[in-house]
Amino acid sequence: MILQVPILALLLGSALASAVALWAACFAIRVLRGWDITNGSGQQLALERATQLVSTLFGLVMLIEIAALFLFVFNADRMATLFVGAMCAVGTFNANAWGFPALTLKIAVFFAAALWLRLDRLDRAGHDYPLTRVKYAAILGIAPLLLANAAAELAYFLNLKTDVITSCCSKLYTPANAGLAAEMTGLAPGRALWLLAICGLAVALAGGAVLLRGRGARLLALAGIAFFLAALTAIVSVISLYVYDHPNHHCPFCLLKRDYGYFGYALYIPLFAGTALAAGVGMMRALPRSDSLAAITPLAIRRHTRRALAAFALFGAAVLWAIASSQLILFG
Amino acid sequence: MTPWVRRQQALADYTLAAMARRRVKNIGLLLIYALVIFVIASATLFSTALRHEAEIVLAEAPELIVQNLVMGRHDMISAEIIEELEAIRGVGGVTGRLWGYFYDRVNGANYTLMVPLDPKMVPPAGQALFGEALPRTRGLGWDTAPLFLSRYPGDLFRLDPAGRLSHESALVSADLILLGEEDFRAFFDLPPAVYTDIAVSIRNSREIDTIVAKAGKLLPNARLVTRDEISRTYQKLFYWREGIMVAMAGASVLAFAIFAAEKASGLSAEETREIGILKAIGWDTRDVIAMKLWEGGLISLGAFLFGTGLAYLHVFAFDAALFASVLKGWSVIYPDFRLTPMIDGVQLTALFFLTVLPYTAATIVPIWRAATADPDQVMR
Amino acid sequence: MISLHAVRKLYNEGRPSEVTALGGIDLEIARDALTVFRGPSGSGKTTLLSVISCMARPSSGRVFVDGRNVSGLPESFLTQERRRTFGFVFQRFNLIRGLTVLENVLLPAAPLGRAPRDDAERATARLEALGLGPKAHVLVEQLSGGEAQRTAIARALINDPPVLIADEPTANLDTELAMRFLDIVAGLRAEGRTVVMTSHDPRIWQAALVDRVVALRDGRLDEEQP
Repeated sequence: MILQVPILALLLGSALASAVALWAACFAIRVLRGWDITNGSGQQLALERATQLVSTLFGLVMLIEIAALFLFVFNADRMATLFVGAMCAVGTFNANAWGFPALTLKIAVFFAAALWLRLDRLDRAGHDYPLTRVKYAAILGIAPLLLANAAAELAYFLNLKTDVITSCCSKLYTPANAGLAAEMTGLAPGRALWLLAICGLAVALAGGAVLLRGRGARLLALAGIAFFLAALTAIVSVISLYVYDHPNHHCPFCLLKRDYGYFGYALYIPLFAGTALAAGVGMMRALPRSDSLAAITPLAIRRHTRRALAAFALFGAAVLWAIASSQLILFG
Repeated sequence: MTPWVRRQQALADYTLAAMARRRVKNIGLLLIYALVIFVIASATLFSTALRHEAEIVLAEAPELIVQNLVMGRHDMISAEIIEELEAIRGVGGVTGRLWGYFYDRVNGANYTLMVPLDPKMVPPAGQALFGEALPRTRGLGWDTAPLFLSRYPGDLFRLDPAGRLSHESALVSADLILLGEEDFRAFFDLPPAVYTDIAVSIRNSREIDTIVAKAGKLLPNARLVTRDEISRTYQKLFYWREGIMVAMAGASVLAFAIFAAEKASGLSAEETREIGILKAIGWDTRDVIAMKLWEGGLISLGAFLFGTGLAYLHVFAFDAALFASVLKGWSVIYPDFRLTPMIDGVQLTALFFLTVLPYTAATIVPIWRAATADPDQVMR
Repeated sequence: MISLHAVRKLYNEGRPSEVTALGGIDLEIARDALTVFRGPSGSGKTTLLSVISCMARPSSGRVFVDGRNVSGLPESFLTQERRRTFGFVFQRFNLIRGLTVLENVLLPAAPLGRAPRDDAERATARLEALGLGPKAHVLVEQLSGGEAQRTAIARALINDPPVLIADEPTANLDTELAMRFLDIVAGLRAEGRTVVMTSHDPRIWQAALVDRVVALRDGRLDEEQP
């Protein structure tokens, strides 16, 4: 293990998250068994009060996890100097078998956290807490994810040795290999951009339908997720080339480096935010209907649709800017 | 402004007013908290700055160093090898380097004697450039005072100062003496046509691995050290020292968290009564929790800024006087130097995680307990 | 305005120390009226007041405020209902020390997120009307008993509630101040507010202003008394 402050911070954060997740899961079982909002007994009152604590604590943990994702990636990029052969975060994640699983779990936790926070807000807006059971069932689902994330992170950091020779991004993101990363890299730039544009159009149409007609929320969620995947592919396949001004440099992590003005953050933050918001819109529509939320849910859906569209638009603007300001000419 | 913002603002206003009334308690808490942060932030800032210094120094180092090994130990290398290395394709320049250590019995220090690679830096015969710490520890009163080195009883070797090395990168040059090749060979009694080691510069960094492989085949007994390896060693060393410091400080964070939890759970009768009143006049549990989180947030942020600010001053204005010896010392002579002030976002974020998180986690349950007071208790 | 149906309130439910504070109360409180609960201490007046004003949930039975059933609401929505409908004046005033009169008056408005300037204007106007204009920036511990109570009244009214709840408002006041309090209450009724209070002070229930006196004994309505 490398004793390093950001690593200690991340481990502390995930230890805390695990403890809260375990406790919240135990509490969730009690809620699922004994929750009865119509009952005025002291037991129900105590349960209601405890939900305030769980909501606060779990909400805090979710915020920590969102921040931890960025710290994790940023720090991996920073640590690349410690590994033989590493040029950016890819090398750090590749330094042992746990790096990329930990990153994937962190991203999963990020989306779960964003959706759960939305669920919590909505539940607390209804005067009979109509979603409490759903919310706590979701905690039972998220808790194992948090534990798995903490375990993968621990395994990753404990096994991190600086003498390891790892592979640089140019070995992972090359069309010559087999595997998903290579497939993404190998996709023709023109096709990747078309794919992205089509998904963007789908998002815009679904979003327009939600805002103007009040329907299509689930479609927006699907389009948002498709856009997310298309965007990641496009970043690897073509957008990175424009940012690096280099026809063969496909790495989606080098974008986060200072050398490229931290441009990656301008791409990833709106992309992740937009996807989480769009998925949240679909989730709100899919939740069980209740009288107390009848007036609230449609407003929340509209508000989040607007935000999701704004975030995707920001991403689009960043992409266009990258293409327009690049010296590289791929087409024509 | 949205109602949400105005609500937060009103809650924060109340919090500030409430905190101002319990000034002594809150300032005490803030100071202890700031002290904990100060220790950790000093270690972090200092280590970051040292890593930065090391990077600056190494940026000018040659890409590859070739050393001769005899019985597994470093030995002088023959000048003939220079030509062999020059023949490898891709090699930019090959230079023999002369450097060695000298133990000074006068003050018990170890000096590094070196012939500079840059011809412009080579002092005239009989003269030398001194590292910054040297005249200080030897008590050379004036700028032109000569330095006498004694290799064995009765011997005196005189070196007149040709100037001093600058403070920049003093970390590695504090104990340095730069002198001409002839003086060097005379001082150490070296035969001609041998060098301490050989520096190889390589223009294209992508070719380093290939050239190292070729040189390895050519000189099976030699040790080949690349600049990246040295850099990694430095980085590791500093990261490790910093980590040890912070891990030790972790104990103090833990102690502080327990202290804070106790402070938060042992609310005074006055505070309990106030929360009761607030709930009775229409504040919700959530409002009280939000208000208390503001309180914790303001204290955390205040302590964080205060502690980090102090640490910044400590490291960059006072040369980390409190624990420099733990973090940098590797020589009898401590370099006296100013670090280039710099702040690293990742380190600060991590620091925020390490200090604010335990505090929040430790206080949140007591806060909730106080906030769920029955609103009608003030009427009973 | 407010109606109670078979409301019971138990404390320490299910434990040996269980106490029945209210034992089945049916009651209708009229809009725009001044209603006073009287009874010896321990008779349940204060508990009744807290159930009526959404401070405590009944253990069983139902409470309607303006026709809405509030007895099943979770705590935080009960709080919302409460701060929309009720303003409170407590027996010991319960002002927060270390804050000024104006800051105390503004406290109930803090969680609502309204424009602070409007609230401050309204609070200042109310303080002027209650004769506390010059004291707005004085710390509350420097107030006399009468001033403290008027500050508490101003605080109760900052969110413009239709109902004012007062628990033993004259217990700590001399006769002159008690009369002054009744004058203020008369003014509030003229503004169209409903007032509900508890009192064991004969000066209050004998006052001509009072529309209805409800007597309580051992947690039940005492029908024999007028």
